[in-house]
Amino acid sequence: MALPRLGTVVLVSGAALLTRRALKRRIARSPLWPLPALPEPISGHSERRATAVRRLLVTGRTVIADGVVQLRLEGFGLPAWSPGAHLDLVLPSGLVRQYSLCGDPEDAGAYTVATRLVADGRGGSREVHEQLQEGQEVEVRGPRNRFPLAEAPAHLFVVGGIGITPVLPMLRSLAASGADWRLLYGGRSRASMPFLEEIEKLGADGDRVTVVAQDEAGHPDIAGAFTGLAPGTAVYCCGPEPLMDAVAAVLPEGCALHLERFSAASGDAAGAGSGPFEVELRRTGRTVPVAAGQSVLDAVRTAVPHVSYSCEQGFCGTCQQRVLEGEIDHRDDLLTEGERDDSMLICVSRCRGERLVLDL
Amino acid sequence: MSNTQPAAVASERTHLKARKVSFAWEKTPLHWVPGDPFTTHTINVLHLLLPAGERWFIHVYRQILPYIHDDRLREDVIGFIGQEAVHSQAHDDVLPRLRELGIDPTPYTAQVDWLFEKLLGDRTLPPGRASTWWLMERVAMIAAIEHYTAFLGDWILNADALDRRGADPTMLDLLRWHGAEEVEHRSVAFDVFMHVDGGYRRRVRTWGTAFSALVFLWQRGVRFFMENDPTLLDGKASFKAFHTSGKQGTLPSTGAILRSVPTYLSRSYHPSQEGSTAQAVEYLTRSPAALAAEAETGAVAPAATATTKGA
Repeated sequence: MALPRLGTVVLVSGAALLTRRALKRRIARSPLWPLPALPEPISGHSERRATAVRRLLVTGRTVIADGVVQLRLEGFGLPAWSPGAHLDLVLPSGLVRQYSLCGDPEDAGAYTVATRLVADGRGGSREVHEQLQEGQEVEVRGPRNRFPLAEAPAHLFVVGGIGITPVLPMLRSLAASGADWRLLYGGRSRASMPFLEEIEKLGADGDRVTVVAQDEAGHPDIAGAFTGLAPGTAVYCCGPEPLMDAVAAVLPEGCALHLERFSAASGDAAGAGSGPFEVELRRTGRTVPVAAGQSVLDAVRTAVPHVSYSCEQGFCGTCQQRVLEGEIDHRDDLLTEGERDDSMLICVSRCRGERLVLDL
Repeated sequence: MSNTQPAAVASERTHLKARKVSFAWEKTPLHWVPGDPFTTHTINVLHLLLPAGERWFIHVYRQILPYIHDDRLREDVIGFIGQEAVHSQAHDDVLPRLRELGIDPTPYTAQVDWLFEKLLGDRTLPPGRASTWWLMERVAMIAAIEHYTAFLGDWILNADALDRRGADPTMLDLLRWHGAEEVEHRSVAFDVFMHVDGGYRRRVRTWGTAFSALVFLWQRGVRFFMENDPTLLDGKASFKAFHTSGKQGTLPSTGAILRSVPTYLSRSYHPSQEGSTAQAVEYLTRSPAALAAEAETGAVAPAATATTKGA
């Protein structure tokens, strides 16, 4: 009776030893055997980089106009950007402010931003002006582009004051490619308007640049800038709110308006441009109205109670939905440019027109 | 045998919210526990498993929401999902830094991606019992995995040995912020499982699967790192090294890991009996990343709404 048992034990342990040896050899040849791999890896290959910040060194601080300081922030292997992009600066106090990049996109070793001191502002610009000195480090996020150059036969820029910062790299790029562009640039006084000299040089080949300093010539003639505008011209506006309203009021049919406003940050449900619209839920087969100041998420939840969401501030990404039709007003801090083409975070982002169609 | 209903410790419940954290990695060295590549890489395996794993949690939990008929639990799940989403992003953002330091983790992470996206993903099953079974099985696996994330969270919050060894402060903050949120939400996955299924046999079975998978993936990850670390000539991972680090307190001890097994399998177990929410919340009040997130999305939010250029 004992013998067969012993035989079994020997057989089983022999088999176990052989298996172990075979496995060891196989693993030695290829340490990551035997799991299959996803052909297009996801982890570590996302372009979102939402939680990554960089510490850049302030290596240049120049006063380039009255109350305007330009900072050169140096780093190593910085992500590429395109004209119109902005950078989030995490200031020493924890305040986060967005500043447009106004340097050379080809320079992977530094970013350049320019900021105007707003004496009665909320402290961001004061902190930049007083605390960011040469040799100091500052954390940045981004860059991101919410104000890119459009494909258009002609380009018209209407700019107020420091709003010139995102536009400057655009002008450089358009001038280099020989495109058709014009600029109406208003400010309080010539001394307070940055980059004047360079811009006038860029536009020297035609009557492209109109500079209107308030102390010399009053307010710029916005309606005048739009007379004789070629159809299909892309119109860009960056400046104070009244300027953007004035441009929107005179915009002719057939011209797309591109606004750069920085008030679109998280939680701005009641801010500018949050008027009502409607959302069609294609798969559910219902259309829900979104009231002014109400989030798309809130409106959608009435029809689809189990729609997923979490942070409601545009950073966790849980509420991302595919958009089938409609022009999206992206207000999140997370999605990549590619993702923005056909999806949105419904907790903060809205609609530029009157109707969105979601794949929900 | 009577089936004791696991009792939750009410005082351990806290409101869950995602925090918009960020980390700057450019100063973190390859061996962020100085002079101890084995410990460094053992903890680094987290960065390989969590991005895909936590994305999978969210994928499954989106499907479980319609099964939850308790408003408080629903609220917990929504907070849980957001926290997990940010965890996944934060660990994912470490991977480019590893590449810069000379270890491209893609061969390993692509397998982890396959595991969570394909093997544990949605399957073409007939609607009804089969697909519900697969959903419940995954919910139970998440509860088992969350037992270990809570265990690790509690461990890292108390791992003073890492501070004494001069570990990189940014990495420690990532791990402790994450660990603290894991402790904060440690009951959610278990509560969800008990709410939608709660079967003891399923709990044991999925614990077996989850625990074996974790051990398998972890040892493989450490070996992958040790073999591909450009500074190590003959990098080897061994159980002995693990046990030694555990004794020194730079990794969880073998004994504590073994003791956590009967804890989870006990019929009267509830995650709120382990770990301390107060300690987790206390850490989050001084975590540099959580504080910065607070400054950005919390206190300053009303002001930030009116940001104008240069203001």
